[in-house]
Amino acid sequence: MSVVICRCEDLTEEDILEAIEKGFKEIESIKRHLRLGMGQCQGKTCVLLTHRILARELGLTPEDMDEPTARPPSRQVSFNVLAGDDDE
Amino acid sequence: MADYKETGVLSLDDIVKPSLERMNKGPVVVIECVENIPCDPCVAACPKEAISMEDITDVPQVDFHGCVGCGLCVTECPGLAIFILDTTSEPCTVTIPYEYLPVPEKGDTVYALDRDGKRVQQSQVLRVRCSGKTHGITISVEKENAWNVRGLEVKK
Amino acid sequence: MEDNRIRKHPVLEFERGEEIYFEFEGERVKAYPGETIAAALYANGLVKFTESKRHHRPRGFFCAIGKCSSCIMRVDGVPHVRTCTTPAEDGMKVERHGALPEFPKDVPPNSPRPLERDIDVAIVGGGPAGLSGAIVAANHGLDVHVFDEGNHQGGQLVKQTHQFFGSHREEAGTRGIDLAVELKEEAHKAGVHIHGGSTVLGYYPDMTLTVEHENKLEIYRAKAMAYCTGAVENYLAFENNDLPGIYGAGGVQTLMNEYGIIPGKRVLMIGSGNVGLIVSYQLLQAGVDVVEVIEAMPHFGGYQVHASKLRRAGVPIRTRHTIKRALGTEQVTGAVVHELDEHWQPIPGTERELECDVICIAVGLHPDNQFLRQAGAEMKYVRELGGYVPVRTPDMETTVEGIYVAGDAAGIEEATVAALEGKLVGYAVAERLLGGSEEITMKKEGVQKSIEGMRQGPYGEYPRRGVKMCTLEEEVC
Ligand SMILES: Cc1cc2nc3c(=O)[nH]c(=O)nc-3n(C[C@H](O)[C@H](O)[C@H](O)COP(=O)(O)OP(=O)(O)OC[C@H]3O[C@@H](n4cnc5c(N)ncnc54)[C@H](O)[C@@H]3O)c2cc1C
Ligand code: FES
Repeated sequence: MSVVICRCEDLTEEDILEAIEKGFKEIESIKRHLRLGMGQCQGKTCVLLTHRILARELGLTPEDMDEPTARPPSRQVSFNVLAGDDDE
Repeated sequence: MADYKETGVLSLDDIVKPSLERMNKGPVVVIECVENIPCDPCVAACPKEAISMEDITDVPQVDFHGCVGCGLCVTECPGLAIFILDTTSEPCTVTIPYEYLPVPEKGDTVYALDRDGKRVQQSQVLRVRCSGKTHGITISVEKENAWNVRGLEVKK
Repeated sequence: MEDNRIRKHPVLEFERGEEIYFEFEGERVKAYPGETIAAALYANGLVKFTESKRHHRPRGFFCAIGKCSSCIMRVDGVPHVRTCTTPAEDGMKVERHGALPEFPKDVPPNSPRPLERDIDVAIVGGGPAGLSGAIVAANHGLDVHVFDEGNHQGGQLVKQTHQFFGSHREEAGTRGIDLAVELKEEAHKAGVHIHGGSTVLGYYPDMTLTVEHENKLEIYRAKAMAYCTGAVENYLAFENNDLPGIYGAGGVQTLMNEYGIIPGKRVLMIGSGNVGLIVSYQLLQAGVDVVEVIEAMPHFGGYQVHASKLRRAGVPIRTRHTIKRALGTEQVTGAVVHELDEHWQPIPGTERELECDVICIAVGLHPDNQFLRQAGAEMKYVRELGGYVPVRTPDMETTVEGIYVAGDAAGIEEATVAALEGKLVGYAVAERLLGGSEEITMKKEGVQKSIEGMRQGPYGEYPRRGVKMCTLEEEVC
C-alpha cells in the first residue's frame, strides 16, 4: 500500500527512502533525482513531508534543511499564454 | 494541562458561578470561556456593562449583580460559550445559543443535551430570539439539570 | 434532481441563478453560474478527477483553491486546466486526460507583445492582508493594483461562516464572509484596481511581475510590492493517503461554504487545531456527520470553546490518536485509526475501523511565499510561524528593498493580524513612495501596537516568539 509524498510526480515514501539510500541527502538533490516538487503544484505539498522523512532518517532538524530553489512560473501555465495568442 | 484540554468538556469546577444568593434573584449569565483567547465581543454586547476585560486576552469578568440576565450576549459570543440560567422560575430555564437547522419553535419539545452531547431530558421551548444568524433558545429544565444542560437537539 | 448541493443552511444563503449545462465526457452536467467546473462535477457525484502519473491511481481534488493541481482536466481542448478555479460555462466541453496529458498542438507561431504596465504598488493576494494594505496605500493617492487568482476576493475570509474572534474594534463577532464584503467595498471606494482571476506567475528583477489573466500574459513593473499570498495546507503521510475523498480542510470549506456543496455524508477529521474544530462545526451546520476528530497530541490544539461546541453536539475528540490507513480502492470507504503512546508509537491492539466517505486533513498550514524566494529575499525556518518565512523589518519589509510581506505568507496567524499587517505595509509603502510624515509614523506605531495586543496571552506566545526570531532589530535602508 502506498504512502504518497508527492502527488504530482506520484512519488511514494519508498521512492524517497531509496533515493536517500543512494546518497541523495538533501531536498535539492532528491528533487533533481526524482523530480520531487517539480510537478504541477511546484512543491506545495511534498517538501514538508520530505523534510520529515529526512529528519527521521538522517537525524536532521528543519533548521538544518532548506527549501528547493524556486523559479518562475510558480503555477502551471500553458505555452499559449507564454507565447502570446495571435488571434486578436 | 487541564482535563478539558483532552476532552473538550468543562467540569463544574472550571466555571465561575454566580453566588447562590444571586442565583435566587433571577436569570443570570454563565460564561463558559476559560482560556485567555484574544476575543471581546461579549464586553460590547452587555447593555449593563456587567462584563469587563482589561486586556483583550483576559477571560471575561462578570459583575453578577450588574447582570440582569437579558441574554443579549448569548448570541454575540463567537465561541457560543454564554448561557443564561434561571433557577427561580417555575420551571427553571436555560438559554442556549443555537446555529443549526431546523430552528425549533416556541412550544416544541426538544431533547436537552449535556456538555458531552448526551440527552438528559426532554424540554419545552419557551422562547426563541434571533440575532443575525444565531438564535438564543430558552428551554425548560428540571432544577437538578440546570447546571448540566448546555445544548439541544430538535426531534426528527 | 438529487445532488450534493446544500439547499438550506442555518447561516448561508446560496442564490443559484439560472441553470447552465456543460458536457463532461459526453454527459450533460448541470451547473450554476459562479460554480467552478470542479464544484459542479463534484455536486453531480464525480470523485475521480485525475489519474496519477506512474501508478495510475485515482485522484480526487484536494485543495480546491488552485494550489495543488489535483483537479486538472482538458477544457474546450485546452489541457491542464485547474478545474477548481475555472468557472463552469454553458456549452463547455470538459474531459479528463489520461496519466500523461499530451503536449498542446496549437502553440501559436508568433507572439504579439503582452500587455506591459508601470504602476505604483503591486499587491499579490486579495485576502484580508492584501486588501487592507491596498486600501491604505490607495487612500494616500497611490496607484495600487491587487492581483488575486480567485474570482471573488477576500481570500480565506470568504468561506468563514462563523463569527470571528478578536477585538470588536477589529470586527470580531462579524462573520468572515461579511468582512470580505466590507473590505472589497472599501477597496473600491479607495480606488484600488482589483484584478480578479489573475494568477501571478513569477517575479523578475526590477520589481517586475508576470500575470496570467484570461489566458493572456501581462507584465507589471511596480515601485513597491507586497506579497500577501496566504498559506498552503500541510499534507499528511499515511497508507492510501491519495484516495479520492481525502481532502484538505480548506478544500472542504471552499466546497461547502463558497459553493454550497457537501463533501460527503460522514467525515473523519484529522487535526484539532482551530481549523479542524471550526470546519467540523461547519460540517455539522451543513448537515454532515462528523464521525470523530482525531489528534496525535495529548491535548487538542484549538480553543476550548470550539471544542466544547462539538462535544455538545456529540462529536468525540480523541487525543493521542492518528490515522493508520484509508480504506477503499476507488474512493474512501473508511479509515483505520489507532492510539499513540507517550513516544508517539502506535499502541498494539488499539486499531479501530471507522466508516466514513471523507477524510479531512487539518494538520496545519505553511506560508505560501515562493515569490519571495524567487525575488531573493532571505528566508528563515521558524516553526512557530508554520515553516519558512521571510526575514523582515518591523515595517514588514523583506531583505529585498521595496518588497513587503503581510498576513499568513509572513507567518501563520489569524485574519485580524493579517489585516493589521496589511495596513502596516500600506503605510510603509506610502512612506517609501511619498516620503515620511509625523502622521504616517504615528499611524504605523498605532498599528504595531494593535498587532502586539493581539499577540498577548498564552495563545499569542507562540507567534510572539516566532516573529521575534525573524524580525530585524533596525530597519534596513
Ligand atoms: C477554517 C479556518 C478558520 C479560521 N478562523 C479564523 C478566526 O476565527 N479568526 C481569525 O482571525 N482568523 C481565522 N482564520 C485565519 C484567517 O482566515 C487567515 O489568517 C487569513 O485569511 C490570512 O489572510 P491573508 O490575507 O494573509 O491570506 P488569504 O486570506 O489566504 O489570502 C491570500 C490570497 O492570495 C491569493 N493568491 C495566492 N497566490 C496567488 C498568486 N500566485 N496569484 C494571485 N493570487 C494569489 C489567494 O487566491 C488568496 O485570495 C481561519 C482560517 C481557517 C482556514
Ligand atoms: S488545484 Fe484544484 S484541487 Fe488543488
